[in-house]
Amino acid sequence: MENKPTSSPTSFVDQSVVPGDVVLDLSNMTNQTLKLGGGLRQDCDAISVMKAGKLRFSNPNKYWVESSQKRYVPRAGDSVLGIVVDSKADNFLVDIKGPGLAFLPVLAFEGGTRRNIPKFEIGTLLYVRVVKANPGMNPELSCTDASGKAAEFGLLKDGYMFESSTGLSRMLLSSPTCPVLDALGKKLSFETAVGLNGRVWVNASSPSTVIVVANAIMNSESLSGVQQRIMVEKLIQNLKLST
Amino acid sequence: MEEAAAAAEVVTPGEVLGKASQLRAGRGAYVAPHNNLVYASLTGFRRTLSPPPNSPDQRPIVEVTGHKAHGAVPEPGSVVIARVTRVTARMASADIMCVGPKSVREKFTGSIRQQDVRATEIDKVDMHLSFRPGDIIRAVVLSLGDARAYFLSTAKNELGVVSAESTAGETMVPISWTEMQCPLTGQIEQRKVAKVGG
Repeated sequence: MENKPTSSPTSFVDQSVVPGDVVLDLSNMTNQTLKLGGGLRQDCDAISVMKAGKLRFSNPNKYWVESSQKRYVPRAGDSVLGIVVDSKADNFLVDIKGPGLAFLPVLAFEGGTRRNIPKFEIGTLLYVRVVKANPGMNPELSCTDASGKAAEFGLLKDGYMFESSTGLSRMLLSSPTCPVLDALGKKLSFETAVGLNGRVWVNASSPSTVIVVANAIMNSESLSGVQQRIMVEKLIQNLKLST
Repeated sequence: MEEAAAAAEVVTPGEVLGKASQLRAGRGAYVAPHNNLVYASLTGFRRTLSPPPNSPDQRPIVEVTGHKAHGAVPEPGSVVIARVTRVTARMASADIMCVGPKSVREKFTGSIRQQDVRATEIDKVDMHLSFRPGDIIRAVVLSLGDARAYFLSTAKNELGVVSAESTAGETMVPISWTEMQCPLTGQIEQRKVAKVGG
């Protein structure tokens, strides 16, 4: 692992870094405004790493550490899949795979008033947006987008939900469409909801389609684009042979 | 007032301390009118104080003191110093440490509701931008509250966060009504800052 104390920033970008690595020395860079994303921390003049992963840089001045793990750290603005655990007078308590339960206010739905509060049973799967995620406080969720419209948030009926790592969720949500979803979408018809907290929901008209899509997604994390397409071809051939 | 030698005798409420003809009831004691005896009304150590020399009534004063219940107790209207323990969307909980200039002897809990944080725009208050766990605040006691906590308010200029630590661990310097800055990293954090001095 490279460990040069005074190195130019380019030598660490796109490299694996571990907590404690000093990746930038601010005393060499004056009159620049840097934006530090997740996983980086400022200690007077040194920028050091807090989370193991790959250091990424985006022009003009953004640095962040990208890593894939099974644990989710709630951030404001993320769209996640939550499971209702309990309901109180003002909030639903929702599990979003974070350190604590999140609160979904009973009125945080499009056109939500005291008279038409939805009744969610324990175990209901919801597609929600994280509104506030302050350290030390339970995250707050909402079933509307920032302007108050429903926008696909809410209850997910039927289908099948499985867990993934946060890196796989980000890959599935990247644009242009990630190869595995692109290849599956050309041959099969299905719908998916991907939560940044490491949960994916798939629904299709027949159970065998759901299983093929879920297996393809679960297998695709470490494969390159070409390998993903080959894997999808094989799975779809098997599906056609068996039906 | 001089103190006579303390007998260090523990008394409980209802114990007879003496006759009203020989003793005067001080703190923690009272005179029962039907039989003119002085009873203790609190638990604590019994102490006898000699009377001031130029008062007409020369009976010694007996008082019951020394138990933790005799420490400072928050009363509605008193200014308290507290440390914030928990912040939620609607209220912040704090451990009361001092009432006025005296520190308390047992733990009191206070809670600051969202509408009591400041005097203006009370429904737009974001609790996370006003207090964080670990902040030291000056607040005024509004009422005895419920069974769990006193109700506190910081809705005045001189009330609010007096001292806070930044995420880097340094004590922050207040720079405005709503902002404090860390001297080490220069990061600005939002709090409901108390106007100290002046």
